[in-house]
Amino acid sequence: MRVQHLLLRLPGYLGALGPPRRLWRSRSLNSISPVGSWRGQSSRSPAHWNQVVSEAEKIVGYPTSFMSLRCLLSDELSNIAMQVRKLVGTQHPLLTTARGLVHESRHNLQLRGLVVLLISKAAGPSRVNASQNYDAVSGIYSCQRSLAEITELIHTALLVHRGIVNLNELQSSDGPLKDMQFGNKIAILSGDFLLANACNGLALLQNTKVVELLASALMDLVQGVYHENSASTKENYITDDIGISTWKEQTFLSHGALLAKSCQAAMELAKHDAEVQDMAFQYGKHMAMSHKINSDLQPFIKEKTSDCATFHLNSAPVVLHQEFLGRDLWIKQIKEAQEKGRLDYAKLRETIKAGKGVTSAIDLCRYHGNKALEALESFPPSEARSALENIVFAVTRFS
Amino acid sequence: MSRFHHMTPAVCCCSKTQSGEKYTDPFKLGWRDLKGLYEDIRKELLISTTELKEMSEYYFDGKGKAFRPIIVVLMARACNIHHNNSRDMQASQRSIALIAEMIHTASLVHDDVIDDASSRRGKHTVNKIWGEKKAVLAGDLILSAASIALARIGNTTVISILTQVIEDLVRGCPDPMVHEIAYQYGKNVGIAFQLIDDVLDFTSCSDQMGKPTSADLKLGLATGPVLFACQQFPEMNAMIMRRFSLPGDVDRARQYVLQSDGVQQTTYLAQRYCHEAVREISKLRPSPERDALIQLSEIVLTRDK
Repeated sequence: MRVQHLLLRLPGYLGALGPPRRLWRSRSLNSISPVGSWRGQSSRSPAHWNQVVSEAEKIVGYPTSFMSLRCLLSDELSNIAMQVRKLVGTQHPLLTTARGLVHESRHNLQLRGLVVLLISKAAGPSRVNASQNYDAVSGIYSCQRSLAEITELIHTALLVHRGIVNLNELQSSDGPLKDMQFGNKIAILSGDFLLANACNGLALLQNTKVVELLASALMDLVQGVYHENSASTKENYITDDIGISTWKEQTFLSHGALLAKSCQAAMELAKHDAEVQDMAFQYGKHMAMSHKINSDLQPFIKEKTSDCATFHLNSAPVVLHQEFLGRDLWIKQIKEAQEKGRLDYAKLRETIKAGKGVTSAIDLCRYHGNKALEALESFPPSEARSALENIVFAVTRFS
Repeated sequence: MSRFHHMTPAVCCCSKTQSGEKYTDPFKLGWRDLKGLYEDIRKELLISTTELKEMSEYYFDGKGKAFRPIIVVLMARACNIHHNNSRDMQASQRSIALIAEMIHTASLVHDDVIDDASSRRGKHTVNKIWGEKKAVLAGDLILSAASIALARIGNTTVISILTQVIEDLVRGCPDPMVHEIAYQYGKNVGIAFQLIDDVLDFTSCSDQMGKPTSADLKLGLATGPVLFACQQFPEMNAMIMRRFSLPGDVDRARQYVLQSDGVQQTTYLAQRYCHEAVREISKLRPSPERDALIQLSEIVLTRDK
């Protein structure tokens, strides 16, 4: 496939993929990228996860690896790659995002798109046989494939926009101002380019309900990212006092809404009724939630401590830990884990592991996994449905 | 028809309309339909996150020129009159006016981050007040709200021409010739507007503009006046290639432009685009709205900010 060939050149443009560096100040992608982030990989039996995914890809008859980057045809790709290449050697987050995307592609991970394709296939054609001249390949309509791509475009666009840097917060250790300004420029423009492609794609679907669903998913996602940003810019590492239910609402916005609404939209495209649409929505929502919680748990369940032992204080196990402990005790623990103003993550991690946060996060992950499986029950048994089940199993496995 | 090809702005383009109405100001004519424009836009931005809402609403404060919405509503009426002699404007057409303004504003918010601008419309930019990260999100939010509003119009053809906002408002008009007229008008006026913008960057001073001048040169951009000047002063080529990055380049380039006929050439080019817009719109049946659109295109040429 020509696009694959082109995209394989991308790592060359970006320089060798070394071991992941500690990200400059902002949230690492670890907790917000799909499960195949290079940190998460090792502890989740990569063989198993990759197997699940590659079998799923066979079922949908489509290598989903490069979906979100397909709009980057030859000229565009080398243009964008050239600009991003200028960031090599700087500390702008966009470089890390780009490397992450390439890394993901190598490991077949455009998860949202894959799920949309699988659920399309699992639902099959609707009883109301609409007389549009769709053309279903491998049991999936071409408009549904388009939708899967659009979903990935929106996800990637916001991933890129998340990497924007506040210029007045820069320190000398971040390198020259002009590098950060340049990185911001490229990040905004490429994100906007991806969004514009998504909008064009949506328009071509000729379905206003689907446009409304995806546009509202974008609105949710933007609000979710906003909350993420607010949570990570606190001094003294003290995070907002949010309980687990607020956390769930915010996480739905930043991680669940896009997949949930895309799955629903896939059903709408095939003219399935409201009940089927709702089941698809529920699967997407709960699967995304359990996936995010799994990702949050990784720093706490690995046995050997890796070199980058940081985690986010706004992640599921930590929020739960705080809820059990009460705010005051939690703040005390954070202070105790600080040394000359710097947080000793290893120490804090042990403190959290000693509490109930980790186990209840595992329970929560499984709760959402079960809700996802429940939603699947209303779909007829099939290879595609099994693949969706396997994804849930993979994401709720902690042994 | 030939009298509409003048360059002098006609105060009253003596057209016969149904009511024999006369008007003097296209902005006033357009604003009749746009009362509540900004309140309605703010209703589309109903989100719970306070700060994000505040940022998104920041430019919808009633102080913008609302140039695009005015063109939209005037065009809607002019086309309605042309097509079925009815001046009534449909709700969906008015929605397009809102959506146009929202999409435009979203792009301005992002542009300001890209250009590291500190002021717009006489106040601080979103990026200077709230930082770049949040400004980018605010732009994305406005865009998503505009898309939702567009979807709710419920017309797939309208959505298909998402990027050609002016054309959208003739939804419901089955006549493709009218679509084409509207598109050509919008395209030509849009280009003329941008060319004049490029000229004003050289000829006006910052107080008038509400934003700093020589902005384009400082960003390394070679616009119309620069490119025309370069034809007279080929020594500018080197500066253009290096995007005015050496000390003194910006000032030197500015001097060259002012010495050359770059400004005049660009203005003349803008005039030609306006002529073309007027030529197109004159194909529509006479109405106060059609004449307002003609006058508007002339105002584009004569504005000083």
